[in-house]
Amino acid sequence: MENYENIKVNFDSFIQSLKSNADDIEFRKKSFNHFLTNGFPKAKDEEWKYSPLTKDLNKFLSVEFGKSTEQNFPEELKENYDHYPIIFIDGNLQLENVQENGLKIVKNEKFLKSVKKEGTNPVLNFTNAFADEGYLIEVEPNTIISKPIVVYNFYSKNFSSNFVSAKNFILINESSEITIFEKNIYNSDQEYLITSNTEVFLAKNSKLKKYNVNEENKHSTIFNFTKANLDEGSELEHFTFSKNINSCRDETIVNLNGKNSFASVSGIQSLLDNNNHEIKLIINHNEEFTESSQFIKSALHDSSTAAFQGKIFVDSQAQKTDGYQLSRALLLSDKARFFSKPELEIYADDVKCSHGSSSGSIDNESIFYLRSRGIDETDAKEMMIKGFLAEVIDKLKDDRFKKIFFSKLGHDSENV
Amino acid sequence: MIEIKNLKASVDEKEILKGLNLSIGKGEVHAIMGPNGSGKSTLSYALSGKEGYNVSGEIKFNKKNLLELNTEERAQEGVFLALQYPTEIPGVFTKNFLRTSLNSIRKANGESELNAIEFLKILKEKSTELKIDDEMLARPLNVGFSGGEKKRNEILQMALLEPSFIIMDETDSGLDIDALKVVSNGVNSLRDPDRSFLIITHYQRLLNYIKPDFVHVLSDGKIVKTGDWKLALDLEKEGYGQFIN
Ligand SMILES: Nc1ncnc2c1ncn2[C@@H]1O[C@H](COP(=O)(O)OP(=O)(O)O)[C@@H](O)[C@H]1O
Ligand SMILES: [Mg+2]
Repeated sequence: MENYENIKVNFDSFIQSLKSNADDIEFRKKSFNHFLTNGFPKAKDEEWKYSPLTKDLNKFLSVEFGKSTEQNFPEELKENYDHYPIIFIDGNLQLENVQENGLKIVKNEKFLKSVKKEGTNPVLNFTNAFADEGYLIEVEPNTIISKPIVVYNFYSKNFSSNFVSAKNFILINESSEITIFEKNIYNSDQEYLITSNTEVFLAKNSKLKKYNVNEENKHSTIFNFTKANLDEGSELEHFTFSKNINSCRDETIVNLNGKNSFASVSGIQSLLDNNNHEIKLIINHNEEFTESSQFIKSALHDSSTAAFQGKIFVDSQAQKTDGYQLSRALLLSDKARFFSKPELEIYADDVKCSHGSSSGSIDNESIFYLRSRGIDETDAKEMMIKGFLAEVIDKLKDDRFKKIFFSKLGHDSENV
Repeated sequence: MIEIKNLKASVDEKEILKGLNLSIGKGEVHAIMGPNGSGKSTLSYALSGKEGYNVSGEIKFNKKNLLELNTEERAQEGVFLALQYPTEIPGVFTKNFLRTSLNSIRKANGESELNAIEFLKILKEKSTELKIDDEMLARPLNVGFSGGEKKRNEILQMALLEPSFIIMDETDSGLDIDALKVVSNGVNSLRDPDRSFLIITHYQRLLNYIKPDFVHVLSDGKIVKTGDWKLALDLEKEGYGQFIN
């Protein structure tokens, strides 16, 4: 068993420094104690079997807090369209004043304290014990926010600690809509542990498009947890673009609690070197007439490893539900590996659920076709890989972000 | 302009082409007919350089031996194969593919690459003639295309790339009469004193629309008979039985 004495000391001094109320402290202590019962997850734990975190977390048996001295977010890193920015510099949240009726963006203090229940996920408990910053986005009822929100998670060269943890809330009230784009920008090669817990509440007939980019991180260990609760008629489109990420687990739980709610959770991952990325999804159909779609594509170069664990759960009362899951991987080297573990747990009889999983190398017939049109073999392969990944982007509903993700891929869309 | 000598092709231990000789002059249209399994598609692959075949002999084209060039180099040299079953490639958009292809060939020949505006102008012109609409060009390559749409897309590529040697592998199969007319008109408008065609077909029907200068019968990996377009009519009447032993 690892020695958690250092982390205990870290936690005690963290709690001392925290200006918070008794309830919050209590919750953090509970979460931390829960974490301590088993410590960081091990590869033998069924839930963490394919997780890169099991080998990487032990690098963080001591976590340093210490605030960064960096104050400035480089202006040139901002997106070049009109948006509301939320900026984390080395984990510290900086907010600009938002002047739009019906939209509130604040530090999440109130909600940080309102959540009481600790879970069984050790890394989530760890996050809940330590998370000290985070945003709260709330959209009032009947409000359509047309400008997207862009969350920048920026890591500067002037940050000497090794741990950042955030807890965020997104609340979309009845009949409201918003798009949130969250990107990580690593300007430092340090070895960080970065964890986040984002809770999403979608009220009746509301819509959220949440897009994430996580790319170019050579050393860090990352854990992102998202839980979304959907009321009647609400819609979630959740998409994550992962590229060249050292070690990461993205875990998403969606609860379809209201009739006619719909969730699409999709992602693409393009991995190099020894990158190791795991996607874990659970979609719970708790009510009838609910619909979900999971669509994941992985392009695996070198010695990279990707894992996909996707579950569709259908409650006994959730009749007439429709659950779809597809995971495909392109193995671009003999050493690349892909693990897929689809799970269906269905207790209702009148449901439509399908799942599929495949992995293989690039289709030779397609390469021949492209080459026979004068395209060099390397370019043809590149086109195929991009095309393979682009298919997921092509299904997104937001035209602006579709273009953004296509160009991130270096893939010209239909506009030539 | 194309001189094929003693061409042999095999896969694993199986010999498919067994010493084929054929010469096609500038501007000529040759048809190759033959029963299923006689090696027609294999010939088209041997000419265009598909990997996976063990090929020997000689294919002289513009003073070069094609067998020394790989697939894309042959295409850049002016060889074009319209596939019997054009491949569906999800995620690769048709327009983007067409521009990449055209620019790859232009670049290899020392010509400037076309920008989007220049390209779209040419594309518009050529696609209208072939009754291909914008919606089709915006789709991923051949994905969800009907049989006829796939074949028209092949002809569009021909028209854009302006190759000097065109091989068509059963482009007529699966086409209804209207689609056949569109395809044949497309091909006929590309006929040119500097461009040669090798049209592979199983049926004589296509040759009513595209009249060949020569017709060859391929059987068991060899050309067993050569004649003018009337040979195709005979074959239609009598079948291939006389050539199969
Ligand atoms: N890749 C391959 N592997 C094994 N056999 C093949 C392969 N390609 C073609 N053949 C065989 O070679 C013969 C000729 O095939 P093909 O060239 O496709 O004929 P055609 O186009 O005239 O119908 C057939 O018997 C076919 O089964
Ligand atoms: Mg054939």
